[in-house]
This record gives sequence, structure tokens and C-alpha cells, in this order.
Amino acid sequence: MRWNVGTKISVGFAITLAIFVIVGAVSYQSVTKQTEAATWVAHTREVQNQLTQLLSNLQDAETGQRGYVITGVESYLAPFTDGSARAEENRRRLAELVSDNPRQQVRADALAPLIADKLAELQQTVELRKTRDFAAAQTVVLSDRGKKAMDALRTIMREMNLEEEALLKTRADAAQIDARDAKWTIVVGTLLALVFAGLAGLLLTRNIAGPLKNLTGIAERITAGDLSSDVTVNDRSDEVGVLTRAFERMTRSLRTMAGAAEQIAAGDLRTSLQPQSPSDVLGNAFVRMTDNLRRQIGGILEGTAVLGSAASEIVASTAQLASGASESAAAVSETTTTVEEIRQTAQLASQKARTVADSAQKAVQISHTGRKSTEDVAAGMGRIRTQMEAIAESMMRLSEQSQTIGQIIATVEDLAAQSNLLAVNAAIEAAKAGEHGKGFGVVAQEVKSLAEQSRQATDRVRTILNDIQKATTAAVMATEQGGKAVEAGGKQTEMAGESIAALAGSVTEAAQAATQIAASSQQQLIGMDQVAGAMENIKQASTQNVASAKQLETAARNIDDLGRRLKQLVENYAV
Amino acid sequence: MTNADAEADRILRARARALAQPPPSAAPSTMLELLEFRLASERYALETRHVQNVHPLRELTPLPCTPPFVLGIVNVRGRILPVLDLKKFFELPEQGLTDLHRIILVQGNDLELGLLADVIVGVRSVPADSLQPSLPTLTGIRADYLKGIGEDGLVVLDLDRILSDPKIIVHEEVES
Repeated sequence: MRWNVGTKISVGFAITLAIFVIVGAVSYQSVTKQTEAATWVAHTREVQNQLTQLLSNLQDAETGQRGYVITGVESYLAPFTDGSARAEENRRRLAELVSDNPRQQVRADALAPLIADKLAELQQTVELRKTRDFAAAQTVVLSDRGKKAMDALRTIMREMNLEEEALLKTRADAAQIDARDAKWTIVVGTLLALVFAGLAGLLLTRNIAGPLKNLTGIAERITAGDLSSDVTVNDRSDEVGVLTRAFERMTRSLRTMAGAAEQIAAGDLRTSLQPQSPSDVLGNAFVRMTDNLRRQIGGILEGTAVLGSAASEIVASTAQLASGASESAAAVSETTTTVEEIRQTAQLASQKARTVADSAQKAVQISHTGRKSTEDVAAGMGRIRTQMEAIAESMMRLSEQSQTIGQIIATVEDLAAQSNLLAVNAAIEAAKAGEHGKGFGVVAQEVKSLAEQSRQATDRVRTILNDIQKATTAAVMATEQGGKAVEAGGKQTEMAGESIAALAGSVTEAAQAATQIAASSQQQLIGMDQVAGAMENIKQASTQNVASAKQLETAARNIDDLGRRLKQLVENYAV
Repeated sequence: MTNADAEADRILRARARALAQPPPSAAPSTMLELLEFRLASERYALETRHVQNVHPLRELTPLPCTPPFVLGIVNVRGRILPVLDLKKFFELPEQGLTDLHRIILVQGNDLELGLLADVIVGVRSVPADSLQPSLPTLTGIRADYLKGIGEDGLVVLDLDRILSDPKIIVHEEVES
């Protein structure tokens, strides 16, 4: 069965329609034959009618002839003239009508000479009566020529009539048989069509509606959430087969989803469900749901771990808090006692503060005197510094000049050395000159001696200059140090002045402070009384604190238990 | 100022006295004209007939691939002359070169060269017979180059022998 449902339905209807078409064709043919038969009956009647009229007209013509022959009166000739004309007309009409039947045609052709003969005989008698007399005419009539023709005519006409009757009978019988056949064809064809249509309907119903009903039942069960029913897959290739397979896939997919959901419900989140297609809303939602659940459970796991540790820390802290509260309660008791002692001390301090305030006033006056003295010292230091700077400048100039002298000495030394060398060369030249150069040698010796003396003199100058330079450097340094010392002295004096000024300010402030201290210590005394009262209140509060800390500890333990239970719950999930 | 005047007066007097001294009695024998100089702390002398003149040591150009006693070459008035260091022969301590060093230009035996001297003392005349022969303690090259010892320990060098010594002719090749 490689046909799809549309083809099947089309084929069923086509066969039924073909049967109906055949039945209709048969009926149409039958009706056509009946109509034809009726036409032929009318034709036969016409032929018979013409024959009757022909006979009647011939008899009219004979009647007219007889009257005229007998009487010789012209008026009797009218029927003869009319009858002859009409008889001829009838014969032509008859020949036309029987042109389809060869035998009748032969007979009709045979009629023509006979009619012509009869009419000729009648015409002859009429002519003879007219031209001669009754006897001549009577001779012709008595020759029996007319009677014989008439008899032959009648015989042929009777034959034609019989022939037409026989034809009529044959055609009527054929029409009847046709009608009967048509009736049977209609009845049988209609019944056959009905049976075939019924059969096709039954087959289609069984072939299409059955599986569809089956699938509908399964769909109903799936709608109710029952995925246990199996869809039997056959190898049908039509729409029903496709639908069945799609249904089977859908059921399988739903069952996979349900299995995954079961796994998740059991706490196992490791399912890796693949969506059937990108537009698989349920599959994608499932994947996202498992991902989200996995993340959330992971987060909850971390959270519970944090909660557990935090709860443990809270328990420890609250335990410490409770013990701390107990300790602080004890400490508060001790503090209360101490505060009482402090109150007595404060009384003493108040008296002492008043004495100190008086002393401070005297100190203020002394510090004012000290400030004036330091200002005078500072002015003196400034003058010293100016003079030291002048000295330092002079020393610097001296040092620079010593440097210049040193350079001049170097030049002189160089000149002495060159002179010495020149003297030696002169002596050498003198020695080469021999006896004549002796005098020159003495001069050279003298020049050399002078150069030596110059060198010694410069040496001494250099020694002295070195001493001077050393002394100058020492003096410069001493001056600089002196300047620095003076500057430092100035600064220290300034600082001393500032210190004394600050001291005077401080002493003044101290005096004010001492006065304030005296007043404050009086207030302190009053305050201490209030503190003693407040400490009593604190003592009561700390007792309550201890009780609260105990309760807090119990509560923290409960939180710890809760955290542990939560952790056990979450650990049931496999992520 | 009076101080300087007195000093000048003193110097002039000293010179007058020196000049007033009678000249030393003329040497009966031949006199040797010597150029006295110092190497390290020792005193040496050369005969002036070999000496052309003395110069300050300037712009010494060291020569590579030469024996240690060749210090280098100098340009003296357009002539390029080698400079020898006698201290290397006499194993005297090195003191480093300064511009106070002098060179003595000598000539002989078709050679012209400069000898390094620490200090040039001057020219003096010495009687030829006052020179004593070499000390027995002096040996080796120092004995070879010696002409004689003066009265006050002056070492008189024999330049002819120094210049004729084949050792000072430098002929060295360096393998490339």
C-alpha cells in the first residue's frame, strides 16, 4: 500500500462515479432507441395513410368517370379530374416515404405504371363518350382493362400494408427488449455502485480512522500525564504512518524529559539533556532549569558551608560574650567602689587647684620681664654678625691675591730654570771654544749662579706664601665658623626669645587654666557624685547583660544546628 | 722694604766675596771639561766635546717594539732623535718622567742621540789625572762604560764606548 490517504479516498469515489456514468450512458441509449422506434411507427402510419388516400382518390376518379359515361353530363367529370390529380400526388409522396426500404420501393415503382394505365383507361372512356357515344365507352369498360389494373393495384397496396405492419411489429419488439435491458442495467448498476461505495467507506474507515482513534486515545492519556502507553510503529508510508512515527518520537522525547525530571526530583542534577531542536521550548527550558538549579544548589551549598562556619563562629563568639559579660559585671562592681574613692580624691584636688591658680599669676609677671631681656640680646647679636661678614670678605680678597702671587712665582721659577739651562749650554759652547771661550765660560758660570739664586729666592717666597695661604685659609675658615656661630647664636637668641614669649603665653594660659581647673574640679566633684549614681545603674544593666548573653548563646546554638541540618539537606543533591 | 734692601746688600756682598777669591791655580796637567748631571741621586759626568747642548724633555713619543732602555723619540729643532735612558744600564730606580727632565744631545761614532738626565748640574773642569780608575765594586756594564771616578765620587762616563756598544743599535723584528 504505497498510497496516501488522499489517493485512497479519490480512488474509491472515482470507481463509484464510473459505475454511475455507465448506468447513465445505458439509460440515455435506451431512451434514444425508444424515441427512434416511435418515429418509425409514425412513418409506417403515414405510409398506410397515403396508401388509403391513393385508393380513395382512384375510386373517386372511377366514380366520376362512371357518372359521366352513364350520363354524359359534364358536371360528373369534376371528381374524375380532382381524383386523378390527387392520385398522382399521392403516388409521388409514397415513393418519397418508402425510399429507405428497397422492397417497398420496388412495389411503389410497380404502382406507377398501373396507376398510369388505369387513369389512361378512364381518360379513354371519357374521351370516347365525349366524341362518340355511350356504346363505344361501354366496350372499353367491358374489356375489363380497368378492372384488372385496379385489382393489381389493390394487391400491391395490400402487400405494402402488410409489409409496413410486419415492420411495425418487429420495431416494437426490439424497443421493448431495449427498454427491459436498460431497466436491468440501471437496477444492477445502482446496486453495484451502492455496494462499492459502502465497501470503500468501510475500508477507508478501517484504514485511517482506526489508527487515528488509537493515536487520539494515546494523546488523551499523554494529556492526562500518562506516558506509559507504547505507540506501535508500522512501516506505513502515508500520512498516518508519518503521524504515528512523529507520535512515537514525541512520546519518546517526553519520556526522556520525564526521566530527566525524575532524576532531578531524586536530587541528581548531572543529567545532560539535549534539546530536540533550537525551537524546542520544553527541552531548552529543561536545560536552562537544570543549569539554574545546578548553579543555585551550588550557591546554596557554598552558602550553607559559610552559614555553618559562621554559625560556629557565632556560637564561639556568644560564649565568649557571655563570659565577657560576667567578667564585666564583676568589673563594674569593682568600678563602683573605685568611683567612690575617686570622689573623695576629687575633693582634695579642688582645694589644691585653687592654690596653684594663685602661684600661676606670679609666674606670669616674671615671664614678661624675661621676654624684654631676650629682645635686647637679639639686637646685639645682629650687630656682631654684620661685622663678621665684613671680616670674611676681606679674608677672601687676601686669599685671592695670594693665589695671584703664587702664579707669578711659578713664572719666575720657570724663567730661572730656562736661564740655568741656557747657562749650561753657554758653558758647553765655551768649553768647545777652548782657550778663547774661557772668559765666556766664566760669564756663563755667573749667569748660572744668578739663575740658582733666583730659584732659591723664589723657593723662599713660595714657602712664605704657602704659610700665608695656610694662615689665610685658616682665618677664612675661622671667620666662617665665627659667622656661623654668630648666626647660630642669633638664631638661638631668637629661639630663646620665642621660647620665653611662648613660655609667657603658656604661663598666662596656665594661670587661666589653673583658674579653670579650680572651677572644673568643683564641677568634677559634683560630676563624680552623678557618676557614682550612674555606676549603680550600670551595675544593674550589666547583670541584665549577662542574662541576655546566655539567651544569645542558646539562640546561636540553634542557628548552628539549623545550618548543619540545611547542609545535610543540600548534600542530598548531586551536582 | 728695609728687609729686602738688607737682603740685596747681603747677596751683593756674597758675590763680591766670591769674585774676590783668587782663581784656582792653573792645573799643571790637562784639564777635562765635564758636563755634570744627576741620575736618581747619583752624580755622573760626560766630556763636553761629545755634548752638543742640553734641552728640556718635551713631546716624547714612545716607540713600540724597542728594548726598555730606548725611551722614545723627540723632535729637536726639526731633527728626530732617539732618547736613551742610562738608568736602565745602571739599574737605578725609576722616578717617572716630568717636564723637569732634560736631555743631553750627544754626537759621536756617526750617531746622534739624546741621553735622559734628571738634573743638569753644570759644566766644570777637572784635571785629567785626578780621575781614579774604576772601583772594584763596579762590575758588568757599569764598569764597561766607566772612564773614571772623580775626587768627590763623580762618575765620569766614556761616551765613545757607550756609542760603540753594538747593543744600543736596535735591530728587532716583531712577528706579526
